[in-house]
Amino acid sequence: MTTSAVSCFHCHEVVPVGGHFMVEFDGAAKPCCCPGCQAVADTIIKQGLSDYYRFRTKPASKADAIPAELQQLQSYDHPEILAELAVLQGEFQRIELSISGMSCAACAWLIEKNFQNDTAVKRLQVNSATSRCELIWDANIRPLSEILKAIHTLGYQVNPFVADTEEQHFKQEMQDYLKRLAISGIMTMQVMMLAFGLYFGEHTGIELQYEGYLRWVSLLLTLPVMAYSALPFTRSAYRALRQRELNMDVPITLAIYYTFIASFYATVSNTGDVYFESVCMFVFLLQVGKFFEFRARKQARDATSNLLKIMPVSAELWRDGRSETVAARKLQIDDVILVKAGETIPADGVIVTGQSSVDESMLTGEYQPVKKQPDDFVLAGSNNHDGILTVRVIKALTESRLGQIIQLQQQTLHQKPALLEKTDKIARFFVQRLLVVATATFLVWYFYLDESRAFWVTLSVLVATCPCALSLATPTAITCALAWLNKQGVLIKNQQVLASLPKLTKVFFDKTGTLTQGKFSIEKVVVHDLEYTESELLQLAAHLELRSEHPIAKAFLPYLADNRPDDLNCPVKLQDVELVVGRGLQAKWWHNDSWKQVKIGSASFCQVSQAAQVCLTVNDVLAASVTLVDAIRPEIQTLIARLHENGIKMAIITGDSSSNAELVAKQLNITELHRGCSPEEKVAQINLATQAGETVLMVGDGINDSPCFHAAHVSVALDSGTDLSKNQADVVLLHNNLTLLYRLIEGAQRARRVVRQNLIWAFGYNLVIIPLAVCGFVSPYVAVIGMSTSSLLVVSNSLRLLKA
Amino acid sequence: MSIIYVLIPIALLFVLIGLAIFFWAVRSKQFDDLDKEGFSILFDEKNTEAKPKAPKNE
Repeated sequence: MTTSAVSCFHCHEVVPVGGHFMVEFDGAAKPCCCPGCQAVADTIIKQGLSDYYRFRTKPASKADAIPAELQQLQSYDHPEILAELAVLQGEFQRIELSISGMSCAACAWLIEKNFQNDTAVKRLQVNSATSRCELIWDANIRPLSEILKAIHTLGYQVNPFVADTEEQHFKQEMQDYLKRLAISGIMTMQVMMLAFGLYFGEHTGIELQYEGYLRWVSLLLTLPVMAYSALPFTRSAYRALRQRELNMDVPITLAIYYTFIASFYATVSNTGDVYFESVCMFVFLLQVGKFFEFRARKQARDATSNLLKIMPVSAELWRDGRSETVAARKLQIDDVILVKAGETIPADGVIVTGQSSVDESMLTGEYQPVKKQPDDFVLAGSNNHDGILTVRVIKALTESRLGQIIQLQQQTLHQKPALLEKTDKIARFFVQRLLVVATATFLVWYFYLDESRAFWVTLSVLVATCPCALSLATPTAITCALAWLNKQGVLIKNQQVLASLPKLTKVFFDKTGTLTQGKFSIEKVVVHDLEYTESELLQLAAHLELRSEHPIAKAFLPYLADNRPDDLNCPVKLQDVELVVGRGLQAKWWHNDSWKQVKIGSASFCQVSQAAQVCLTVNDVLAASVTLVDAIRPEIQTLIARLHENGIKMAIITGDSSSNAELVAKQLNITELHRGCSPEEKVAQINLATQAGETVLMVGDGINDSPCFHAAHVSVALDSGTDLSKNQADVVLLHNNLTLLYRLIEGAQRARRVVRQNLIWAFGYNLVIIPLAVCGFVSPYVAVIGMSTSSLLVVSNSLRLLKA
Repeated sequence: MSIIYVLIPIALLFVLIGLAIFFWAVRSKQFDDLDKEGFSILFDEKNTEAKPKAPKNE
């Protein structure tokens, strides 16, 4: 389909040719891509909130004309369900909402502002970082569904959300991190200031009493850093030692404690030198690294944990010929429930009566709806498209497939990303040698050389070789690389991928939703009956399809006439619209002063022979046939060209067995194609590649890809993918742009270069300083200057990664 | 020079006050969402202008 270069005022997506949705802003008419965006933009401007368009930094997400869940909102008003979701606070109710579709901070403002003058709402606070909203309101004045609907009209999807205990834990930990950072940061400044006094005192002479005073104050200021800020390192080192292992936190802890105790001894006994400033700075810098890492993890969790919202909350229990709203969690085995069109199925079950097509994309990643008949299984969390079903429950919600996946999810989130194996090896190697050298130095000096200098020489050995630079080398570089990638829109959940990415040799792509857009658009319209124009027929089709929940119907949305179908002035007059489940629609159409019988749907439904997916007949004569495609993402070509340049092999691996897969492969010039693969076969293919010595990256979007995610070295999920796939993947691309994949590879390569430079420097420095220190040539002062300089060099080298 | 016996404790007092304020800010969730507050200044300015024109519900 050809498109014009005009972009939608609301969502910045391309407006299809012949689009006629306009909205007035600042006295000028602006184009919109679809009636959904038009309605949203109109609401926003009419409410006097047009500031949103002036100050937002990112376009809004495309608004859906008929959000399917909208009809379901009513069930939230039911007292029993409300009691499960909200907490009573006096006469007000408090609830947490999860909002999707927020793109920047202006969205948060928009929602808050909309409710500022609402008397029923006591407090509504939106957190744009987590896409959550806290609402305190009076349910007697306004039911929850009305408030949710009002947010819907602004173009956001909103669902009640029950935060789990783990999330509370994350929040608490975030606060702890901030506090630890503040303590170590502010104390470092103070101690550094005092240290400068001591440095100058050393050169120009300082009275003993002042020197002692400054040392005692420094000691006092270092205490909270040691006791509070350094706690995570101490704990981690303790855990490692208990398991008889050495990790990087062991030398860190050893270094800070040894340095601190030596300085403490020097202060109390008034001999030797103090290194409090080094201790503080070291703790602070490492803490910053840990903080960034934690923040990335929290962000990843927030972005994906909204998963819980797909847990259905209410169900219609069918009892004695009447339906009754109950909480989904209270459903029991053998209960019979009623599921209306457009509703989410609240439990795993077997269909008793009715037939419908069901969207299971939440669980399987396939967009094509699945036809269901009596005695078929349906899964909790899938969406019932067009028929009314009665379902006998066979598993309660918590034991359903969905419930189990969510549980599994939360378990995997507990596993913290393991430290880079390489660094661990270095740490083990280094710590062992260091301890041996230090002990040997002490013994040799004590017994053979100078008994009185033994302690201080050993100290300078330990200080000079303090693995600061070494232990900062990798984490700082990785932190900076993560921050840079995050800014580009790449979220890395598992740091290990940065190590394997530079060695990448092969990329596997999933087809549907990854290489293609995962939604249908109109490719070609053939008009067979020249009595009608193409635009006339498309408009007719659009108004007919409006009644259907089928994903194909969405392709016609841009062709709706200005007015909503219920409007009297609508140019397309329809009567007796009837939906034939899974096949098509028929209706009477007022055209040229007479009612005509129209049908839209599959060729067999329209009783014509045509290869196109959608046919339209008027009075049983074929009027038009429409070919739909799942279009290839426009940016793929650039990505593939770049991967080719880097000598990275590519393959498509898809569950689709049709010739469509071949077409896509040919179009993209990818020779290796595995089609019709089950999830197990996909895993087998990837294992084959890894056994052949390839470093494999897998890009996918559905839950059917997630087994491969574990098999590949690196797994990447798209933001448009299912929540489950985003949870499983190592990397999530935050924008729907696959060229970010190249950014990811580039970032990893740069990170590896910087890590290597840092390690060479740190090792080189240590190799020079250790022999000198062991021989007693290095006074502790020189040791501390050397240590700080090498640490600073390493950190500033890593900071280069932030610039691009 | 003995003035430092007084000045350093005073400086420390300020440090303590600063830390206390920071801890309070963390606890009252001011660091939860850093993006939105940066924007609020843009919008609030317009708000006060618009308010007298359109006094809604209240």
